[in-house]
Amino acid sequence: MSATVVIARQHVRSLSRSRTFVLILGVLLLMTAVSGLIGWSSHATIIRVYDETVRILAAAGKSAPPNPFASKPRLSLLDNMIIYIPLIGALMAIVIGHMSVTADRQAGVTGVIFSRPVQRSSYFWGKLTGSALAGSVIMAACLVLSVLSLTLINGGFPTASEFLRLTLFYALSSLYLLLFVLVGMVAALLTRSQSMGLFAAVAVWVLVTFATPQFTAGLRPVASLNPVTDPATVSRSTFFRITSRAKPIAVNEQYKALSTRILTEGSGARPAKSAAQLAPIAFFLLLLGGWANLLVRRRDFSEETARD
Amino acid sequence: MTRPLGGRVLTLGRHEYRFAFRSGVLLLLILSMVLVAAGSITIASFDFRAQVADYNAYLQQAKAAGVAVTAGPQFFPLQLLRGVIEYIEIIGAVIAIGLGYLSVARERTGNTLPLIFTRPVRARDLFLGRLLGAAALIGTILAATAVISLIVVGTVGGHWLNGTELLRLAIAFVAAFVYMLLFYALGTWLSARSRVVANGLVLALVIWLSVVLVLPQIGDTMDPDNQVPGGLFHALQVRKPDEKRVLAHFSTYEKVRNDLEEMSLSKHFERVTFAVTGIKDTYNGKSLGAVAHGKRNDIAWLAFYSALLGGLMWSGLTRQRALPREA
Repeated sequence: MSATVVIARQHVRSLSRSRTFVLILGVLLLMTAVSGLIGWSSHATIIRVYDETVRILAAAGKSAPPNPFASKPRLSLLDNMIIYIPLIGALMAIVIGHMSVTADRQAGVTGVIFSRPVQRSSYFWGKLTGSALAGSVIMAACLVLSVLSLTLINGGFPTASEFLRLTLFYALSSLYLLLFVLVGMVAALLTRSQSMGLFAAVAVWVLVTFATPQFTAGLRPVASLNPVTDPATVSRSTFFRITSRAKPIAVNEQYKALSTRILTEGSGARPAKSAAQLAPIAFFLLLLGGWANLLVRRRDFSEETARD
Repeated sequence: MTRPLGGRVLTLGRHEYRFAFRSGVLLLLILSMVLVAAGSITIASFDFRAQVADYNAYLQQAKAAGVAVTAGPQFFPLQLLRGVIEYIEIIGAVIAIGLGYLSVARERTGNTLPLIFTRPVRARDLFLGRLLGAAALIGTILAATAVISLIVVGTVGGHWLNGTELLRLAIAFVAAFVYMLLFYALGTWLSARSRVVANGLVLALVIWLSVVLVLPQIGDTMDPDNQVPGGLFHALQVRKPDEKRVLAHFSTYEKVRNDLEEMSLSKHFERVTFAVTGIKDTYNGKSLGAVAHGKRNDIAWLAFYSALLGGLMWSGLTRQRALPREA
């Protein structure tokens, strides 16, 4: 068995034994399970609100505009997942990346690992493979939960097209989470203290999740938590015309936009647009992956000690 | 000679502050909050200018067409602080958890706690000393944020706050101070009771995620008016009295939604500060007495959480004394 496989397996095992990781995973799975319920409850209520509004308007002799929810695809019931993945999922990914570096340091085994004929690249690829595997299994579990909740709510299995869209959404989410695994890994490799590593990674997450959308689209921090956002009220502002040029490289916004297209819009694939939205995620994956690899190669693991 | 209680507490508090100052942590946190506050107010100011430009363009078209015009956007300078309050709600809470964690981690790693207890220091002194140190740190961070907010509202927003507005700003920041101190207590409690301090930090971050982000998010997305960009009732061209008549039929749903939001400490902080600063339209222009009366429920919840987390922090620090040093 190659060193990469052994390291990957050990990393997955160490994650499954960590209570804090299991706790975050539990929160994510719980939110995935209730996401469909929240979507269904909101949708059913709003249809009733619309009907009631039409009745009141009709009594006053006014005509009502058409129902804005009539043509919404069934998968839009899960649009809260577009928020939960960048919130809970990304935080979980940071913990996975962080632990891939600090768990060995804490156990005091880094020196022992490199006293064996283990190459630095095998160590890096082992940790990355283990993290990617853990992330993919979690996303697969979320996919199963989403299918189950859709089946219960809609009273029947999702169609083949819906299943394909859901699979695409969770595959995209796996890539997005891998980005934050690498953020956690790089931050832990750059700092000697565990806490500083975790804080630095959380700071990057806050920047990507809350500060960037406000800068590029004038979206307030709390408004970023709602899958339905106001259209830009800022089209006439020179300031926002300039800042919105940074949108194509804002990974969070590209992830949300692509996910919305996959889950809630009935439009076709549009490969060129999808590739353009995927490009910044792929670019930062390569950049952070290369950086993490370089840091692992250059780090002196012989003097590793656990520091809070 | 034994130092009086005030002296011991002051020494411990000063130690907390000095460490954060010397290690650069305080400067880093001040810079982070000041930058996001300045950026947020600047963006809100440009947003308001864009709304005014949009309204002026509409006004010209309406006048040319000879149709009646609706009222334009009104400028309330404290409303520019909405983003700052939301950042305190999100980032301020993380900063406070971090301060609590670092305070415990530093002593656990350096094994200085047994040394402190060789002196005539009791758990009560440690609790009060840490709280005092944290209060000074949080106070410094928030004071810097308030000052930069004042300056940016004056320079970029084009309005220097008057006495009444300054008083409302001060009250909002006092609420922010209490809010951050609560998360400090949470960070200290969980770190102190964990054998591996980093686990306490992750657990505190999970609670922060649930309380600050997930619970308000659920309440917010369940709001019928938040299901359509720009608002459902606006899209349906329904006026406020009709909106109230419609929503009266969904009182149970609204109650569940409200109860979910009320489980979140952040929501209470948000409701109080939004009311005081007039960010919430229904409280804009109302006296502070009327605001306090209207928000008495949220103030009571904040008081309850203060007592709860203060008690938990106390129990965590008492337990910390008995925990062995981690490897």
